[in-house]
Amino acid sequence: MSSENTHTDTFPFGPAKPVYLNFIEKSFQKQIAYKFEYFVGVLNGLLFIFVFTSLWNAIYAGADTLEGSPFTRSQMISYAVFAMLFRISMTMEDNEIGRKIRTGAISMDFIKPVSYPLMLFSEAIGQTLFHWFTRVIPLSIISLLAFDAVMPQAPSAYVLTAIAWVLGYSILYIINFGFSLLAFWFTEVFSFQLMKFGLFTLFSGGIVPIDFFPDFAKPLIALIPFQYILYVPTSIFIGHIQGAEAIRLLLIQAVWVFTLGFICWRVWKAAQKKLIIQGG
Amino acid sequence: MMSDDNSIIRVNNLSRHFTVADGKSGFIGSIQNLFSRRYTTKKAVDDISFSIAKGDFVGYVGENGAGKSTTIKMLTGILVPTSGKIVVAGNVPHINRAQNARNIGVVFGQRTQLWWDLPVLESFDLLRSIFRVPEDDFKRNFEELSETLELGPLLKVPVRKLSLGQRMRCDLTAALLHNPRILFLDEPTIGLDIIAKDYVRKFLKMVNKERETTIILTTHDMDDIEALCSRIIILDQGKIAYDGSTEKLKIDYVREKAIEIELHEDDTGTISIPNVKLVKSTANKKWLRFNQDDISVQEVVSQIMRERRVKDIAIHEPKVGDIIKNIYANGKAASQQTKLQKTLP
Ligand SMILES: Nc1ncnc2c1ncn2[C@@H]1O[C@H](COP(=O)(O)OP(=O)(O)OP(=O)(O)O)[C@@H](O)[C@H]1O
Ligand SMILES: [Mg+2]
Repeated sequence: MSSENTHTDTFPFGPAKPVYLNFIEKSFQKQIAYKFEYFVGVLNGLLFIFVFTSLWNAIYAGADTLEGSPFTRSQMISYAVFAMLFRISMTMEDNEIGRKIRTGAISMDFIKPVSYPLMLFSEAIGQTLFHWFTRVIPLSIISLLAFDAVMPQAPSAYVLTAIAWVLGYSILYIINFGFSLLAFWFTEVFSFQLMKFGLFTLFSGGIVPIDFFPDFAKPLIALIPFQYILYVPTSIFIGHIQGAEAIRLLLIQAVWVFTLGFICWRVWKAAQKKLIIQGG
Repeated sequence: MMSDDNSIIRVNNLSRHFTVADGKSGFIGSIQNLFSRRYTTKKAVDDISFSIAKGDFVGYVGENGAGKSTTIKMLTGILVPTSGKIVVAGNVPHINRAQNARNIGVVFGQRTQLWWDLPVLESFDLLRSIFRVPEDDFKRNFEELSETLELGPLLKVPVRKLSLGQRMRCDLTAALLHNPRILFLDEPTIGLDIIAKDYVRKFLKMVNKERETTIILTTHDMDDIEALCSRIIILDQGKIAYDGSTEKLKIDYVREKAIEIELHEDDTGTISIPNVKLVKSTANKKWLRFNQDDISVQEVVSQIMRERRVKDIAIHEPKVGDIIKNIYANGKAASQQTKLQKTLP
């Protein structure tokens, strides 16, 4: 063995990295440990896209338009594909705090001199990057080939969608984080999680675009943040929402990010005070 | 107690209460619970005060549920006290939690601060970023720790695949990579085999000596205490039952001693000294017992040496563990008369 090798053996580290960047990197790396879960995830995504595109095809029954639908068949298929891809791109661990509080493992995080919310957020970003590279991109390619999804032409659609995706992702992250903070007050948070899951499934636009809800419901849905998670980015991406309306929705998204972020930050402050670590 | 300038931890009138719901059992009971619940207050830590000097190695002991872990959690800033004051190296832990965290290293025996799915190495790399350990310090620390704890073959292994003893070695390293001034250890030897325990003890002794790290150790293994701690704090139902040096504990609580004497083969005489009881006697061996309030060890030994031809002599006293057990069992007053029966020949 060369002397260089011996050296790397005694000090096998690279240069020091900034802490949150390091969290992102390690979280990414962590995902690789679960190869099986990864393949299941890809297959699952493919299955869902197949089911939903088939469903819409059946509903449109070969016609190009549908009574009462603002979407053409091709738009609808694109919506189904990209809403599902965006949804997959936003897969995140949504109750880590609850689990850690129940087991007391949170104590090991709290003895570290870092901002806990930022640490969790960095880990979520690492996870998301991993999902993009390993699920979203391959699934996008397959979907474009296998289903009739259409990519937008205008570069502006990509820019607006990127912004809408980041804001939508942030809204979802903050909602998840906020709900998981409830574990500081309640030992059993399952019912809250279920409620969140229900609201998300119905009103995020991941399965059914908000356009299909009855007219009286739309203004109510606009009052809660869920449609800004998937409906807005997907609609912008497929060109269903454009121009000034798209900008207006981006602004509303930003307002939600700040409002929810502020609420969560206050709740977090209170949660820290409330802190009781379970177990010996 | 001692509040000299040398102290690195100061605790004044510290209490932590937990509210526990007394649920009624059974079907009717659980419905009643929905409407009214009685709560009782558990005083896990009850008005304790102490201060710890730089470089001390303190054994923090007590029975299950005595309040040891609760105290450690408050000292590390992850639990808010109900009342009282704590200052750890200039910080109030639960208020300046992050600041405090930079000064301390923590090992909770039943938990790990390593990242479960990552190789040990990657956890160390994260800790380096978290604590912003300067390059040179990190290199020196890592090399020293991984050599003494023989981490070489473990570094590439994911934490979840380590055995308990292996994981503990890695956790100890993790707690020390940033060269903390204080090390909190809550049952670090739990579940380790004798060899691993010995290993960890030697290591901790070295850390305390060479790095001058202040160490607070919680354990149920009295051999840990005897081997390591210069000072003992005994907690009994949230209150301090004893606080003093390990030596002083013996002097305070154990007045009785035993001496075992082996005489030369041709010396068949007996021993008779006032206030000293001859417990057992064979041709060449004698077992004596006496109370130090009546006669000193020195007097007994010198008298024997004058009268008989001694081949070997051994002085016995009870182990710290037995004294502590006695304090748990009988409270403070009763333990003054700690008897030797259990440990002495
Ligand atoms: N989160 C909690 N809620 C209610 N009671 C608690 C809580 N944490 C600890 N206690 C109680 O406080 C007391 C002290 O607990 P603690 O964990 O400090 O004991 P310990 O001395 O560390 O015991 P052990 O040797 O078993 O680890 C116990 O009676 C325990 O039941
Ligand atoms: Mg404990």
